[in-house]
Amino acid sequence: MNEIKKDVKPAKVIGVPRPLIDGPEKVSGKALYTADFIPYDHMVGRIFRSPVAHANIVEVDTSKAEALKGVLGVVTGDDCDEGFGVLPIARYEYPLARERVRYRGEPVAAVAAVDVETAQKALDLIEFKYEELPSYFTSEEAMAPDAVSLHEHREGNIERDVDYDLGDVDGGFADADLVLEREYNCAEICQVQSEPHAAIAEYDAERDYMTVRASTQVPFYVHLMLAKTLKMDQSRIRMIKPHIGGGFGCRTECLNVELICALLARKAKGTVRLVVNREETFITHRGRPETDVKLKVGMKKDGTITAVDCQAIQRGGAYGGYGIVTILYAGSLINGIYQLDAVRYNGLRVLTNTPPPGAMRGHGTVDVRYGFEAILDELSVELGLDPIEVRRKNLLKEPYETLNEMFINSYGLPEALDIVERESGWKDKRGKPGKDGDGKYRGLGVGCAHYPCGASKPVNWTGEPHATVHLKLDWDASITVLTGAPEIGQGSSTMVAQCAAEVLGLDMTRFQVHSGDSKLVPKDNGAYSSRITYMVGNASIEAARNLKTILIEAAAKKLDAKPEDIECLGEVYRAASQDEGLTFEEVVMAALEGTGTITVKGNFDTLPESHGTRKFRGGAIGGSMAYAYAAEVVQVAVDPDTAEVEVEQVWVAQDVGRALNPLSVEGQIQGSVWMGMGQAFCEGTRFHNGLPITGNMLDYRVPSIVESPPIDTHIVESVDPNGPYGAKEAGETSLAAFIPAYTNAIADALGVRPIDLPVTPDRLMELIEAKETEERVAAAQDSSVAAE
Amino acid sequence: MSDDAKQSVVRCTLNGRPRRDFVPDNMLLVDFLRETVGLTGTKIGCDGGECGCCTVLIDGEPRHACLTLAAVCDGTEIETIESLDTGGRLAAIQRGFNEKLGAQCGFCTPGMVMAAEGLLRENPNPTDDDIRAGLAANICRCTGYVKILEAVHFAADELAGRSEEAAA
Amino acid sequence: MEYMPDFKLHRPDNIEDAVKLRAEEPDALFVAGGTDMIVNVRRGIEQPKHLIDITAIQELKSILPDGDGLHIGAGVSLKELQSNKDVLRDYPAVAEAARAVAGPTHQEYGTVGGNLCLDTRCLFYNQSEWWRQSNDYCLKKRGDTCHVAPGGKRCFAAFSGDVAPSLLVYGAEIDVVGPNGRRRMPLTDLYRNDGMGHLTLEAGDMLTAVRLPKALAGSPSRYEKARVRGSIDFPLAGAAVRLEMDGKTVKDFVVALTAVNPYPQIVKRTDTYVGRELTEAALDEIRELVRKQAKPMRTTTVAPWYRRRVVGALARRLTEELAG
Repeated sequence: MNEIKKDVKPAKVIGVPRPLIDGPEKVSGKALYTADFIPYDHMVGRIFRSPVAHANIVEVDTSKAEALKGVLGVVTGDDCDEGFGVLPIARYEYPLARERVRYRGEPVAAVAAVDVETAQKALDLIEFKYEELPSYFTSEEAMAPDAVSLHEHREGNIERDVDYDLGDVDGGFADADLVLEREYNCAEICQVQSEPHAAIAEYDAERDYMTVRASTQVPFYVHLMLAKTLKMDQSRIRMIKPHIGGGFGCRTECLNVELICALLARKAKGTVRLVVNREETFITHRGRPETDVKLKVGMKKDGTITAVDCQAIQRGGAYGGYGIVTILYAGSLINGIYQLDAVRYNGLRVLTNTPPPGAMRGHGTVDVRYGFEAILDELSVELGLDPIEVRRKNLLKEPYETLNEMFINSYGLPEALDIVERESGWKDKRGKPGKDGDGKYRGLGVGCAHYPCGASKPVNWTGEPHATVHLKLDWDASITVLTGAPEIGQGSSTMVAQCAAEVLGLDMTRFQVHSGDSKLVPKDNGAYSSRITYMVGNASIEAARNLKTILIEAAAKKLDAKPEDIECLGEVYRAASQDEGLTFEEVVMAALEGTGTITVKGNFDTLPESHGTRKFRGGAIGGSMAYAYAAEVVQVAVDPDTAEVEVEQVWVAQDVGRALNPLSVEGQIQGSVWMGMGQAFCEGTRFHNGLPITGNMLDYRVPSIVESPPIDTHIVESVDPNGPYGAKEAGETSLAAFIPAYTNAIADALGVRPIDLPVTPDRLMELIEAKETEERVAAAQDSSVAAE
Repeated sequence: MSDDAKQSVVRCTLNGRPRRDFVPDNMLLVDFLRETVGLTGTKIGCDGGECGCCTVLIDGEPRHACLTLAAVCDGTEIETIESLDTGGRLAAIQRGFNEKLGAQCGFCTPGMVMAAEGLLRENPNPTDDDIRAGLAANICRCTGYVKILEAVHFAADELAGRSEEAAA
Repeated sequence: MEYMPDFKLHRPDNIEDAVKLRAEEPDALFVAGGTDMIVNVRRGIEQPKHLIDITAIQELKSILPDGDGLHIGAGVSLKELQSNKDVLRDYPAVAEAARAVAGPTHQEYGTVGGNLCLDTRCLFYNQSEWWRQSNDYCLKKRGDTCHVAPGGKRCFAAFSGDVAPSLLVYGAEIDVVGPNGRRRMPLTDLYRNDGMGHLTLEAGDMLTAVRLPKALAGSPSRYEKARVRGSIDFPLAGAAVRLEMDGKTVKDFVVALTAVNPYPQIVKRTDTYVGRELTEAALDEIRELVRKQAKPMRTTTVAPWYRRRVVGALARRLTEELAG
């Protein structure tokens, strides 16, 4: 038995920087990702993809492929007539195309074979006959009056047209001293998470039982869709989420990869491993849609924003996916960061013959936020105001209710602005035009952003709690956290354990976490919309409190004291400070005596008032229990000869409510800032008649370490009244703020303002040359005037 | 599977253990490691040489296992991520990535760590610029690289006996 | 398991055997580091029946000063090329170019010969088999349409090696061994202005070495490439400049370009600057001279006009820096 120390104190876990709970297996190569499961008797799955963008399927003849020795199963659209999709109102995509193909690369058939060579040979033997239809690769083409509809139930190729008009917008523009209107084109972005998509499905024909491992952020949605498309009871399907090599939103809905893999496994009656390559991962897509943002903003001379009118058109690809939510988010999140009294929004989600986008990091808000913060900068400069002062002028005061009924209860943006202004040397360095000694032009720019902490109304609302965590306490006096919250590299498993450890005053070494096995852990909606810390963290706290109550009662009984007199010091429970007390092990023994191993539960539900309004369509989207805020300043150096832009330094301050694990929070903020940098300067997909030109990591350029800047990272703690220990989200907010800070910095450096994204060197060179030409013409006019 | 005429004998030392294998001529080293040997720490992240997830050391130098034929590794010494930790302890570079959060999702980590290990063997005291130059073929999508720089410095300090732990 | 075409691998340990194998199997391909070749094999662009790995040939792996200059074996790695003392001291642009290739890992095993014989590149060519088949292939391989210049019969795929221009400014020569023995020729003669067949090597020929002339050892030079990222990217445009000054006037001046044409090229008429001062006006002229001879096409995601402008800017800047 452990000796009890007199000075024992509860362990301090929250707010202490710590490595991830699963860090050692990751750095040692022991962590197993989906593609790392390679059973000896597996079959290799491979997908036959459409070579054309839009066509009626005449025939998919797989007879020769099926006849090939070593081929154990072939599936086509005929094998599954159940649609899938994340939104109950938009489940019209099939794992394998039926009747029509709608984008180049869409799965048409798939084979399972003894080895990869046979599988490839089988694909080559599939005969695909089709009648081509007109295809549309831009929103504009798809919306043309004579365009053929991609889907009969979506006339005019509009997936969703949303509007709202709140406050007196026209009056606001009339009151403004300056009104600017701009159109920003933002390229389509891919997540390019490190791990290509993979699934391994094991079908037990004897029991009619399916076990699937897949690279997903939403194992329970996958579970649901597997049951639907396989027409199997959910109870006969076990869904396992191994280690996940990132997601950033491309895996927040079920993908065709895991469904095809399971269909193949059942057809071939065995284990099928379907690991798609990088090009196929690009084609599977679910990234940020190409968006045209048209913004009109009015401002008074003192910097007050008087009105906002925004139109967003998203190229939505061939299927709905998250599309409706994305276009609604884009509109609702105009609000909630500044005091806005008049806002109008029109959003169009368009169906096109390109791979379907999804819910990428910063879902919905990023492109509109970019435009908004860019036009704010332009208005400030034109009115002779400091862009940071203008933002200050429009700050809101919490608690605050936005026009669209979002509730802001904690708001650390003022402090974040102060920090980046001070740390960047903003007042000294900004607004200094001209070339520096090294031939480069330098400038500073600012941008702000915010992001919700999970949707208060989940996508699939079934009435169950938003989050449930189980804590299992056993005779070994260790606690196993059972959570469905998918650890995808964001550190959720560490966070969930920390929340419980803090309540119980125990060191993290007493905890282990199991996440993502549907037969073991309680259901969880998944890793998206930054919901996990807020919701699952709170559920974990609740579970730990319930466990603590049991432990205190057991200690009280053992010590013959009243529960309210028991002091919990983590490793020691005692009745009064002079009492020596019981060790944690002794309390556990007392608690389990008679009852055996115990599992307690904690739930979390959002407050009804945070659900948003149903007064206008889409009003409920964007409603969250809390919002995180970020301010960023970016310093660039532009080489005028090559139009190459170097980001020399970023200063970021993000209000995360409370940093549960400051190390992890910093990592999330930095990754987010950096991903915004990629979108700002080099990332974007391109298509050639619907074929993805950038379906590889050379032409789709993810920044390397060389051009990635130092990121001076500051944490602001506004302590949200409802967050777990006051915490809010950390991993998405800072992305959107980078992009306008970057273009605003270029404008500060050069006096030319990039509009479209990404700001590639050719685009910037064009702007620089246009300005030089303008100046030459002006100079020539001046001299001719002088000559007269 | 290739016929016998299209196979080669490969004698190599893999993670310190000598091996002799008969491999198909068209087999990539990464597949040999992952599927034949069962060392799945080395990852495949792209369609050829663009991401660095498959980086291993061959005769001490970083190399893409996804662009290297297994058959040409005859006579070489191959080291993968699984070779670094010894005696149940993480190597300095692994500890750096763990302590400083140089790994988030962890998928690029094996390749990144092997590239960093190769760098540190050549240059035990790298500057930020040296690290940037040395890890420039490895793409990480999670960290923004800030903490990867810190992780490599941590390892260099530990190896040089400059770390707090070493001081204690 | 990654899908790979079925091929027989050969590993000769001497040049003669390698050349003999190549002559016996007409569709055989040489592979050294494989940083480019294996990518193309994995994508199905190349579907060889035989691959001849030449990394076991020790003779190809040395850098040796000899009577008339520096002999660099074709199998020397780019890492070794950039770290070699003779190269660093006497032919600085060559080391700089080697350092600019792809990323550090590629440089560890990518070779000089591989970089010089690098296949030309194009957005419509460097794609997967599925992609190219869906796009009816292209003129460069298995197709009859050029998607860059539809209707044309020429291939505009861009030569994208970094090392060639740095060698060209030194008037490098190469050794080639073929069925009819060994021959030496200027590096310029290795290339022709045709994206489909940019190498003049004949069936069975193997590039075995590059020779840098002793007479130009120490002649100051630079190489710089434009790219979007600081690493991994092929050049969007690249320029090597060698400039010797005699006081304030030009004594010797050569510029070579890469990635803006199907072959690496020496810029014509730079000799007209010999004896002249490099004034701002002269430098601007040089920039325009370079731009006129660069003819990039839509073979990358970055606009051709930009690559043309930037290659002029790079050449001007390097010239100005070398002029001191």
